[in-house]
Amino acid sequence: MATSTYLSNPVVTVNSVDLSDQCTAATMTHRFDQLEATAFGDTDRKYVKGLGNHELTLTLYMSYQSAETYATLSSLVGTTTTVRVQPAAPPDSATNPGFVLTGAFLAELPVLNATMGELSTVDVTFVGGVYSVDTTV
Amino acid sequence: MYKIVSPRVGTPGDTYTPVEGVNVEALLAGGFIVKSKPKTTKSDNIPENKE
Repeated sequence: MATSTYLSNPVVTVNSVDLSDQCTAATMTHRFDQLEATAFGDTDRKYVKGLGNHELTLTLYMSYQSAETYATLSSLVGTTTTVRVQPAAPPDSATNPGFVLTGAFLAELPVLNATMGELSTVDVTFVGGVYSVDTTV
Repeated sequence: MYKIVSPRVGTPGDTYTPVEGVNVEALLAGGFIVKSKPKTTKSDNIPENKE
């Protein structure tokens, strides 16, 4: 049975800043555009791989304190950076791969998401960039 | 030369070496690292002999 349970081990870095203690959810998607290649004579649709179109979505507690979420992200809006997620603390290995997007673009940052009586969280999505996997130290 | 300020980036006081793809300006703006002047050595301060 293949299952993964995440408690407190995943490591999340944004622009080299470790935001693991501010993060409650992370989803990195390794994806390529699908280009239709179906032609006359085919009876089923066919697709071929197009450009890579990867993304990382993080749910982070919003903190305006120094060296925390807002300080990390506010200067990155409209720019590219490197983001990295890993199932557990280093070292890298085949069973603990580090997933990296180099040159990922942050288009927007919700600067305030306030609900009375709740800790504020924001969802941010980094799109594009070069996908790689670190499996060796 | 950059020096680490925040433990979120590394050990404070250590030299920060930019990694490919990392936005250094954002790290500076967020106060995670600071620019540090390279140390001068005695040999740097020896005036040139002028004839």
